[in-house]
Amino acid sequence: MTATAFRPWLDRSGRLSPLKLAVFLALFAPGLWTFLSYAQGSLGPRPLTEAIHQTGLWAIRFLMISLAVTPLRRVLQWPRLIVLRRMIGVAAFGYAALHLAIYTLDQAFDWRMIVSEIALRFYLTIGFLALCGLLALAATSTDGMIRRLGGRRWRRLHRLVYVIGVLALIHYVIQSKLDVAEPLVVAGLFLWLMACRAVVWLGGDDPGLSFPSLAGLAVAAGLVTAAGEALYYHLANHFDAWRVLGAYLGWYFDRRPGWIVLAICLVLSVASLVRAHRAGARQWRADPRSGAAEAA
Amino acid sequence: MYIKSRRGWELPERAATPEAVFLDRRGFGKVAAAGPMLLALGGLLPGAAPAAAEEADPSAKLYPFKRNDKYKLGRPLTPADLVTGYNNYYEFGSSKDIADAAQALPIRPWTVTIDGMVEKPITIGIDDLLARMPLEERLYRHRCVEAWSITVPWSGFAMKALVDLARPAAGAQYVQTTSFENPDVAEGQRASWYPWPYIEGLTLAEATNELAFLVTGAYGKPLPKQNGAPLRMVLPWKYGFKSAKGIVRFTFTDQRPVNFWQAIQSSEYGFWANVNPEVPHPRWSQAYERVLGSDERVPTQLFNGYGEYVADLYKNLQSERLYA
Repeated sequence: MTATAFRPWLDRSGRLSPLKLAVFLALFAPGLWTFLSYAQGSLGPRPLTEAIHQTGLWAIRFLMISLAVTPLRRVLQWPRLIVLRRMIGVAAFGYAALHLAIYTLDQAFDWRMIVSEIALRFYLTIGFLALCGLLALAATSTDGMIRRLGGRRWRRLHRLVYVIGVLALIHYVIQSKLDVAEPLVVAGLFLWLMACRAVVWLGGDDPGLSFPSLAGLAVAAGLVTAAGEALYYHLANHFDAWRVLGAYLGWYFDRRPGWIVLAICLVLSVASLVRAHRAGARQWRADPRSGAAEAA
Repeated sequence: MYIKSRRGWELPERAATPEAVFLDRRGFGKVAAAGPMLLALGGLLPGAAPAAAEEADPSAKLYPFKRNDKYKLGRPLTPADLVTGYNNYYEFGSSKDIADAAQALPIRPWTVTIDGMVEKPITIGIDDLLARMPLEERLYRHRCVEAWSITVPWSGFAMKALVDLARPAAGAQYVQTTSFENPDVAEGQRASWYPWPYIEGLTLAEATNELAFLVTGAYGKPLPKQNGAPLRMVLPWKYGFKSAKGIVRFTFTDQRPVNFWQAIQSSEYGFWANVNPEVPHPRWSQAYERVLGSDERVPTQLFNGYGEYVADLYKNLQSERLYA
């Protein structure tokens, strides 16, 4: 049993890590907020429905944040972030499990209904599959399991997280009644992070994540999000794609997912610049202390 | 001598929810979702507008309307603050929290146009229309397609009375309703890719059915704007999206109207949209509904329990997509 066994606020040497403690506590915040709001009666007239939505939202957000850790380590030149990845990923599983649990409560534990609904409604089926995937990853997230599986098998299993992320996003889009702005923002950010990873992977030893390339990718992510939004509305609802794009230059511009994605990614790009300037041009090196869990 | 007999649902003033509590009831929703909206309203106090609108409403003195007891609810009345605080009105945004945004809608002057295949097109002010209609109050169940329901004491007049006023021509088969279009006040309508204005429709047979109700008030007062003031339709045997809000025009036609939700998502929303627990929405079952207020999960009934009044309308229409 290592020093950090089930005490995630400690670092590997057994010392209290303020960063890990702060993030660990923050992971409980949305759940606590939702529960307290429910108890207070301030979740609206359909509190269970709202709670299902909030837990699902945070499951997806934490999943995406955990996926952001590896690219952000490079972008922000902050290798230490790796120590947060596991707990954020497990939190994603936790909220997803809670999401399903509240759904069964909302269905009054009518098991026949719940099973038939998950089988019959496509977005529930893929949501359930995503949750099963998260369960597998959470169950193999302990130090013991990493050792037992070995680095290579563990890494292969945990590459499932990309499929899970895509399934979760599709589940989110399908369940939206009409307005898919938030899932599109999440998808756009996801794309930027994956693009950053791809640049690193293609670039070999040379980090290749200078401010111009990050900013360029931010613009690309914004454009792809905008195009994706117009295409989605056109295919799903027969909307005029050009009108949707026109809004990017007009009245509704501040709500458009493409602009939001661009803004967030530019902020992260600038943060990367600030970080690089402060630390001096620090050559990126694989950090052996981060353990076998560092993905390729 | 004036003898006032209290109807079951009438509460004395002292039993009303204190205004401060009423205004703060959506604390969570405001924090989570209404940030941009609040900024847009420039800190306009939500309390002042509804009160002022009520005083300025020339129809206010007509209320309360005489109760028509024929239609039974079978469950308690939903508290008014739930009905007026949880609304689908996409003209003002896609959250349920649009009550504040809806206050921007001017409801006087409000003209209603009756045209299409009628003897003579009519353009009439809403107050003049009210003066000519048989006003009454009815208690109806209201079932949203999202699988929640409320019960509301609606004040209005039978749609049949409007059809009689219109004198439709022989070939007319449908009534199409058109709701207001005003992107200056209705932010949702600035999303020009939606097929605004909100169109709904029903057959002439449905419109002249005794249940079809045109509504101008609720809970013994003029309708709040978020509930569709000053004129909306209520078709209690159909899913709620058929009950259009903010109507400005009735068009009699022989072409089946393509309603707003059908235009956007015809795989999920059709023309008839009669309530049927055995026909699921593609994404969820319609077998149950969550009753707002009591929080009960109750089985949904065919035609929302109004089959005795409307089932006959569909006897010969079984090949139609009646339940979506």
